Amino acid sequence: MTTTTFQTTSTAASARGLVKTYGRGAAAVHALAGVDVDVAPGRFTAIMGPSGSGKSTLLHCLAGLDQPTDGSVVVDGVELAGLDDDALTRFRRDRLGFVFQAFNLLPMLTARQNIVLPLELAGRRVDEAARVRIDEVVDVLGLSDRLDHRPGELSGGQQQRVAIARALVADAAIVFADEPTGNLDSTASTEVLSFLRRSVRELGRTVVMVTHELDAAAYADDVIVLADGRVRAHLTAPSHDELVAELQAGVR
Amino acid sequence: MRSVLVASLRTHTRRYVAALVAVTIAVGFVVVTNALASATKAGLAAGVGDTYRGDLVVGDPFGVPEADVDRTLGLAARSGDAADVIGTSWQPVRAGDRSLGDDVALGTVSTDPALMHQTITSGRAPRSDGEALMTTSAAKAAGVGLGDALQIGADDEAVTVHVVGLAAGTSYYESDLYVPWATLDRLPDATPDAVVYDVRGSESLDTRAAQLEELAEAAVSMRADYVDQRLQMVNSGVDVISYLLLLFAAIAGFVAVLVIANTFTILFAQRTRDLALLRCVGATRRQILRSVRVESLTLAVVAAATGIVAGAGAGYGITAIVRAFAGADRIGSVNLSPTWLVAAFGGGLLATLAAAWWPTRSVVRVSPLAALRPPQPVGVGDPAGRFRIALGIVTAAAGAGLLAIASSTHSMPVLMLGGMVSFVGVLLLGPVIVPAMLRLAGLLLGPIGLAPRIAAANAVRNPRRSAATTASLLVGVTLTTAVLTGMASARDAIGSDMDAEHPIDAALTGTTRIPDTLVERVAATRDVIRTVTVDGVPAHLPDSDEPLTVLAPDRAARSLAHDPRVLEARDGEVLVPPDAVAAFPDGVPPRIDLIVDGRTTKLDARLVSSDWGRAMIVSPATLGRLDGDLAPLAVWSGVASGTDADELGGDLRLIVAGTDLDLTNAVKDRGWVEQQLGILVWAVLGMLGVGVAIALVGIANTIGLSVLERGREHALLRALGLTRRQLRRLLATEGLLLAATAAVLGTALGATYGWLGTVTIVRTAVADAPVVIPWAQLGAVALVAALAGLLACVVPARRAAQVAPAAGLTVD
Repeated sequence: MTTTTFQTTSTAASARGLVKTYGRGAAAVHALAGVDVDVAPGRFTAIMGPSGSGKSTLLHCLAGLDQPTDGSVVVDGVELAGLDDDALTRFRRDRLGFVFQAFNLLPMLTARQNIVLPLELAGRRVDEAARVRIDEVVDVLGLSDRLDHRPGELSGGQQQRVAIARALVADAAIVFADEPTGNLDSTASTEVLSFLRRSVRELGRTVVMVTHELDAAAYADDVIVLADGRVRAHLTAPSHDELVAELQAGVR
Repeated sequence: MRSVLVASLRTHTRRYVAALVAVTIAVGFVVVTNALASATKAGLAAGVGDTYRGDLVVGDPFGVPEADVDRTLGLAARSGDAADVIGTSWQPVRAGDRSLGDDVALGTVSTDPALMHQTITSGRAPRSDGEALMTTSAAKAAGVGLGDALQIGADDEAVTVHVVGLAAGTSYYESDLYVPWATLDRLPDATPDAVVYDVRGSESLDTRAAQLEELAEAAVSMRADYVDQRLQMVNSGVDVISYLLLLFAAIAGFVAVLVIANTFTILFAQRTRDLALLRCVGATRRQILRSVRVESLTLAVVAAATGIVAGAGAGYGITAIVRAFAGADRIGSVNLSPTWLVAAFGGGLLATLAAAWWPTRSVVRVSPLAALRPPQPVGVGDPAGRFRIALGIVTAAAGAGLLAIASSTHSMPVLMLGGMVSFVGVLLLGPVIVPAMLRLAGLLLGPIGLAPRIAAANAVRNPRRSAATTASLLVGVTLTTAVLTGMASARDAIGSDMDAEHPIDAALTGTTRIPDTLVERVAATRDVIRTVTVDGVPAHLPDSDEPLTVLAPDRAARSLAHDPRVLEARDGEVLVPPDAVAAFPDGVPPRIDLIVDGRTTKLDARLVSSDWGRAMIVSPATLGRLDGDLAPLAVWSGVASGTDADELGGDLRLIVAGTDLDLTNAVKDRGWVEQQLGILVWAVLGMLGVGVAIALVGIANTIGLSVLERGREHALLRALGLTRRQLRRLLATEGLLLAATAAVLGTALGATYGWLGTVTIVRTAVADAPVVIPWAQLGAVALVAALAGLLACVVPARRAAQVAPAAGLTVD
């Protein structure tokens, strides 16, 4: 069942000595080679780095989607290592939200059904409080007239917004976003990123986003830069130039 | 998860169709069997009940002795009761110069109205000896009307009757012609089956029954009991056939299970991303498993129910059609047994659930990460796990061992078991065998063009999928081929046996010179293609004056025989056929004395089972030693194949009428056996057809689904320059390759099983029976299989080619 190691909730998520290796022997790939990182609560954190730096792997481990080879992860006060699959699944359902680059939604469900999916999985009825929350979120995200459409009938940007709505309605403590604007044009990207930032600013959520786009990172409060499976820099509220300098420092 | 479940079922309905059809066919088959069996039994019950009238019946399950017949009839006459015999015979019947046939089925009609069971449709019932009743259909076929005279029996013993009435047909003990027992008794080979007894006098039933029991050796039963007993016997015959049909239903069920397992495997492979997303968002493994299980349960219930309904409909329909053609007196109405229905439903349900069980289990292994990866092409499927391969080898080896044991001990159950086990082993090894064969096919056909190479490569990419696709067709082809090979060998063995037993098609044998005019008439008979006379001498045995025919067939005569070797006697030897044994009242001694013109010659006697009439055969040299007046004593004829035995017999009988010639008609025996074998083969193939039909549905399904999966690839190929037609041809080639693989492998396996079956079963009856491979038939089967594979691709290929490249390439 759930074992909770109570730590200070001054970090939304933290990892210590995180190692993730794929394969064996000479063909081994060290995706993460010892990562220590703290994600601040109530802030918008971006994880950046060149391809192969391990940023997606870090996200997966932080989100409980993958088991690290070594090291510990604590999310929202809960040590993930000790949890079995069921507990981990329930943890994701009740506390986390996900926005992926593509394929966020179940294609055979309507937008409304996709939004309440976590609630349905938990077996919780959509009570009055939930209904109010849904209406609010849907209103803010501008999805009111799209609720009965299937994902196939929604544009890319609309699909991402439905995913965000799902995370918000489920009252997720942390929203993990993996390249959410990768498939979108600049207008839709701007929309999605603004909504993510608004949920941090106005609704007090924590958002962790993996991205390789500088413009997207500009929306973030903090930026973690990875290189070769390790944290190279953790910038707090960097300016545009600082960020550029840091990223270019890696290219020699 | 309810919304997911419901949405799933609605979205994927079309993809479940194949599984639905497979189960429906299998379940429906069982229900139809029950429907037809119950209708047949109903018809028979009515028939049986009708036939036996009166109060008591004297008879055993398999007949009643002649002595009992006389005693019972005697008692009835003395006591003022009525009794009559139910009997049968097969006799040649003539209407003047026209032959109605050589083997007409005769039955009895009682002259006592209370005991008569036939339904008169025109004219009246026979009232005395010499009057007859004919069934309406037989009368129409023979062109016989009321008042016509018929001659029954072989010429010198022929009995003349007049047709006084026509009767309706029946389902039990049907004959073409009914005569009173007194008439039938005068004919040779009249077989009494039972005596019905109606108590009329003042004695009570029990007293009379006790009296009969004293008199008769056979059992004496109350009418109702006897009818029940008969019904049971007859029904168990129907039951045997029903259970045999169930065997084929089981085969169809097995194939259906394969199809369903395959369908579910593919479906879940396609839904990996959906399932992974659900896991991401927080569905536990158990929730997903339960949802997927409910899906399969829903499908199972719907499919089984559809099968029951469809089967019932088909059963009623077929019965109605049979009744329209054969008449309501031959088949009754359908009465579906609740037990069978429940069993069929349960069976269908269980089969679907069992088939879906393994694929649903693999669903829980989906990792949430799978949702995050970009849309994967259908993975280079992992080759079969090592465990599966090991299990496959062990099973196949065990099966082979069992087959070896079966062939040396000639045991049928061991053979069936060995066959099933070894086949399962082959199926398990499918993911190894099939890709290997496909690669070979790709190599061999590669030079022809790009399509075969790509097609082979595609099919090899997912060994498990390819193996699963071919599995169901493999079952069908293997079974069909095995049956055809076994049957061909059996037919051949039986054929050689027949050739030895009945070397001459038609033989007229006499003891005096046969006039040339008669020989000409025989030669001119319809369907006779060759005629020879055989010279011989009349002889007799020491103790009797009865003339016997001794022949020495020359080369010309021997060349007429189907198997000339059986006609060859060694010098100093005489061959004695079954028909000649009657001349030796004390049995045939090892050496017999033949007296020709007063001179006695001692010869070694050899009993043979070949039947060329009642002549004894010696070598020409021996015949010379006998030194009698050589004359043509026999006429032998060969007839065209496909000759109607009955007509030939009738025609020849007309020729021998008034002579002392003895007619042997072998065409009847040969023809009957060939006909039965032919019917058996077609019936078996028809039954197997059901399994094969399901297999074809399975192939179409798999190919359709796998084409759907590879949408991106096809879109890419189209974008890079493959035309629509080329894409269709590519997909068609793939389907063809898979089907051809199944056909080749299936033919090889089936021929092997057929060979083993021959060695095990046929050789117990006919030693050293050669194994005959009916190449033409096997080729036809392989062709049908390959075409089926091709056909299965047509619609999916068309649909795949319609998609515009851009649409196919966009990210989901």
